Amino acid sequence: MLTKDLLRYKTQNGQIYPQFVKPIDTKLLAIAEQLIAVFEESPDKPRATLLETSKHIVDSTPGAPIVKRGLEKLLLDRTEFDTTPNEELIAFREKLFTETSRLLSQEQFENHADYQRKVLGTMAEELLSEVAPTEEDLAAKLYADLPSCQPVLAFKTLSAEHLLHRYNTAQVQGLLLHSDTLTLKLTDSMTAELRQLFKYLRFNQLLSTIRKEEELYQISVDGPLNLFYKTKRYGINLANFFVAVLHQPRWELAAEIQFRNKQRYRLSLDESCGIKPISQQFLAYIPEDIQLFQTMLRNKTDDWQIRPGSQFIPLPGDLYCFPDYQLVHKNGVETAIELFHPWHQGHLIARLNTLAEQTDVSLILGVSKELEKKPFIAEALAASTYFSQFGFIFRDVPTIRTLLPILNALVWSTTHIAEKM
Amino acid sequence: METPLKINFDKGTLILQNVPEPLQTQLPDTRWDERTLTFRAPAYRYRHIISRLRAHDIKYQDTARQFSVEPFTHQQTMSPYPYQTEAIDAWHANGKRGVVTLPTGAGKTFIAILLIADTQRPTLVHVPTIDLMHQWYTVLKEHFGQDVGLYGGGYHELRDLTVTTYQSAVMHAPYYGNRFGFAIFDECHHLPSDQYQYAAISSIAPFRLGLTATPERVDGKESRLYALVGEPCYEVKVQELSGKTLSAYRVVTIAVEMKDTERVRYEEARRTYLNFLKQERINMGTPRGWHFFLWKASLTDEGRAAFKAYLAQKQLSFASTTKQEWVWKLIQRHTGDRILIFTQDNDTAYQLGTRFLLPVLTHQTKLKERNDFLNKFREGTYSILVTSKVLNEGVDVPEANVGIIVSGSGSVREHVQRLGRILRKREGKQAVLYELISKQTGEHFVNKRRRQHHAYEKK
Repeated sequence: MLTKDLLRYKTQNGQIYPQFVKPIDTKLLAIAEQLIAVFEESPDKPRATLLETSKHIVDSTPGAPIVKRGLEKLLLDRTEFDTTPNEELIAFREKLFTETSRLLSQEQFENHADYQRKVLGTMAEELLSEVAPTEEDLAAKLYADLPSCQPVLAFKTLSAEHLLHRYNTAQVQGLLLHSDTLTLKLTDSMTAELRQLFKYLRFNQLLSTIRKEEELYQISVDGPLNLFYKTKRYGINLANFFVAVLHQPRWELAAEIQFRNKQRYRLSLDESCGIKPISQQFLAYIPEDIQLFQTMLRNKTDDWQIRPGSQFIPLPGDLYCFPDYQLVHKNGVETAIELFHPWHQGHLIARLNTLAEQTDVSLILGVSKELEKKPFIAEALAASTYFSQFGFIFRDVPTIRTLLPILNALVWSTTHIAEKM
Repeated sequence: METPLKINFDKGTLILQNVPEPLQTQLPDTRWDERTLTFRAPAYRYRHIISRLRAHDIKYQDTARQFSVEPFTHQQTMSPYPYQTEAIDAWHANGKRGVVTLPTGAGKTFIAILLIADTQRPTLVHVPTIDLMHQWYTVLKEHFGQDVGLYGGGYHELRDLTVTTYQSAVMHAPYYGNRFGFAIFDECHHLPSDQYQYAAISSIAPFRLGLTATPERVDGKESRLYALVGEPCYEVKVQELSGKTLSAYRVVTIAVEMKDTERVRYEEARRTYLNFLKQERINMGTPRGWHFFLWKASLTDEGRAAFKAYLAQKQLSFASTTKQEWVWKLIQRHTGDRILIFTQDNDTAYQLGTRFLLPVLTHQTKLKERNDFLNKFREGTYSILVTSKVLNEGVDVPEANVGIIVSGSGSVREHVQRLGRILRKREGKQAVLYELISKQTGEHFVNKRRRQHHAYEKK
C-alpha cells in the first residue's frame, strides 16, 4: 500500500479525485520495466545498493517523481530482506564494547585519536585484516548489519502493466485508509464474483447491510464500532476489501475520506476507472471445500447438486444474505447453506434474529463446533426453533451425514405442501 | 417465563438481546444495530451497563465476561513508600479506575504490581514499546512467580498476566477484549491517539489504571484518557521527590558554536529552505504546514532541493562537529559514571557510536542484542549507551547518572522523560543532564521555550 505522502489526488467541491496513471502509457511502462528489472536483479545485494539503483532510475527518468517513488514503494513491498541477526558481528561488538568501556572508565586520553589508536591495537586480531586495520576498517565493520546492509532474499516479480494497475489500486486503497465506511452499488453481479466479495467482507471482519432497489443491490460496509464513532479504525479493512470490488462487472463505490480531523471529501468511483483486478479471480475455480462436498454428496445421493453460492437470498425485513453453497434437488427444489465459523458470532446472532419468525425455508444454517462451544451461542441455538429444524453443527467442513436429513425433510415438506394445494 | 437480558462480547463491542423496552434508552452508549438486529454498545461500557442492570434489579445472562477471580500471589516483600500507598488508596477510592501521575523512577510499576495483587483479576498491561513490554514481562514474572504472556513484537501468547503493545492491542483487542478484568495502561498519555484509544474501547475490563509522568497532551485529549481509564486520582511532581525518592539532579545547558565551515553550510541550507517556504507561501507554524511542505517539495526539482536543504540544516544543528567534540569532553569528564547519550535520529546515534566505538541502541537493534546491551549497562560492563528514542520512555536503567542530550524533538515531554531516565534513586547519586544546543539555530529557541516546564524550575 502507499503511504499518505505518495498519494496523488485532487479535491474540488467536496469531492476527492485520485490521480490514476494510464496503464498503457508507454513511457511510464518503460520506467516500470526498468524498476522491475532492478528489483529482479536485486537478490543477494544489500538494501542500500538496491535503493541507490532504483533511486537513480527515479531521479534520472522523465515524469512525476511521486509516481515513480510510488512504484518503487510497491516493488519494495514485494521484496523480502534477510533480517536474521549476524551472530559473528554481535560477538565482535560485544568484545569491542567491553574493551572500550574498560578503557573509557579507567583511562584519560589526550584526544579522541589516541583513544582510537589504543582500541585498534587491542582489536587488530578481531578485525581479521591482513594489513594493519585502520579506523575506517573498524567503522565499516562495526554496524555492518544495519537494515541498509541487509541482503535481498527474494522479489516477487510482476509485469509492468500489472504494476501500474497495482499502483492505481493502491491510490484508492490509500484514500480508503482514511475512511470510516463505504457504500457499494452492484448490478449484473449475479455470478460467482459475489462469492469472492463476501468472503473478503467476512475475512476483513466487516459488517454489511444489503438492500435491494429494483435491479440494484446497495451494500453498506463498515465495522462494529461504526455505530458509535465516525472511526477510521476499519480503514485498513476497507482498503483490503477494495480488491474484491474490482472483480465485479459493474460497480459504484462511494466513501467519505477525511485526513486527520480536516474536511471530509467524497470519493466516488465506478468500473469505468479501468483498474484491473490485482487479486486472483476464482470464477472458473471451484474451491476445494466445494469439490470435497460435491464428491461426498455424489457418493451418498444422486438427488442433489451442489454449487458455490452465487446469488443473494432475500430475507425478512428487506435484508439479503449471500450463502456459501446453493443446492438444487432433481425435482427443482432449491435451497442454500450459510456457514458460520468461530469469528462469525455477531453474524450468526443477527441471522437467528432475522429468521426467528420465519417458517419458509430459504436458508440452512451450518454452525461450527467451536462457535457452538460459546455458552451464549449454544443457548441462542437451543432457543431457535428455526435452527432446530434447519440448522446443523459441523467441525471442519459440513458432512453429508448431518446435512442429508435436513435436505430430505425439506423435499418432503415441499412436496407435501404442493400435494395439498 | 420471560427471557432474560443477554449480554455478549463481539469484536470489541457488546451485543445485548432481550433488552426490556423501558431500559432501551437508559443503558449508556447502547444503540439498536440495524446490521445485526441487536442492541450494541462499545465494550468499555461493560461496567456501566452491568452497574445499571444491577441498580434496576434486572436479571441478565452475562456471557461477555470470560474471566474470573485469579488468586495471584505476590512473592516479593518490598514495602511501598508512603506516596505509593496513597496512590493505591486513591485508586481504590476512585472506584478502582483512574490515572496515577508520578515522575519517572518513582515506582509506578510497583504500584501496578500491588494493585494486580489486590484486584485479583486477569490483567493486561499495555505499553508503547517492545523494550517496555520485555521489562514488564521480567518484573511481573519476578513478582508473581508465574508464566506471563506476551502479545506483540512477534509474540501471540495470552495468559492471566499478559503484556502487550498498544499497537498490537488495537489489532487484537476485538478478539480477546473480554478475557481481562484489569487493564493497565503504562505511559497512558499515548492512549487518546486516534488509533490507540480502541485498545481501551474494545476491552470490557471493569478495573483500569493509567500510569504516566506527563498526562498533558499537545492536542488536549487528556479528557478522552480520563473517560476511558478513569479520572486522575493521584499526582506527585518531580520536585517533591527530588533528593528523596528520586536522585537529586541538575540540568546543564551547553550552547555550542558551530565551526565556520559548518556555519556557512548551515546558513546556506537554511536560506534555500526558507526561500522555498516563502516562495510557496508555506507557514510551518500551522498544523498542516509540514505536510504541505512535503507535498510541495515532492513536485519539483526546486522543491526536492529545498527538502534536502531542510534535512542538511537540521542534521548540522543536530550533530555538528563541535557537538561531537563536546560529547567526547563530557565522556572524559565523567570517567567512572554511567552515561546515556540521546540523539534525535538513528543516523546521529550511529555516527557517534562509530566515532567513539560505543554500543548504540535503536529500534533497529535486534531483541537479543538489545537486552544484552541493557543488561551489560545495568551491571556496569558497558558504561555508556548511545540511543535515539527507544530509551525515552519507561525502560529502567537506574544505574545511569549522566545524560547527554545531543539532539531531540524539542518537546517538553521528551526532555522530561529523558531526564527521568537518570533520576532513579541510588545512594549518594547526583544526576546531571547535559543539553547540547547549537547557538543561533532553531534548536536554541525551542530550548528556551521548553524551559518553562516545572521539571526545570527550582524547588
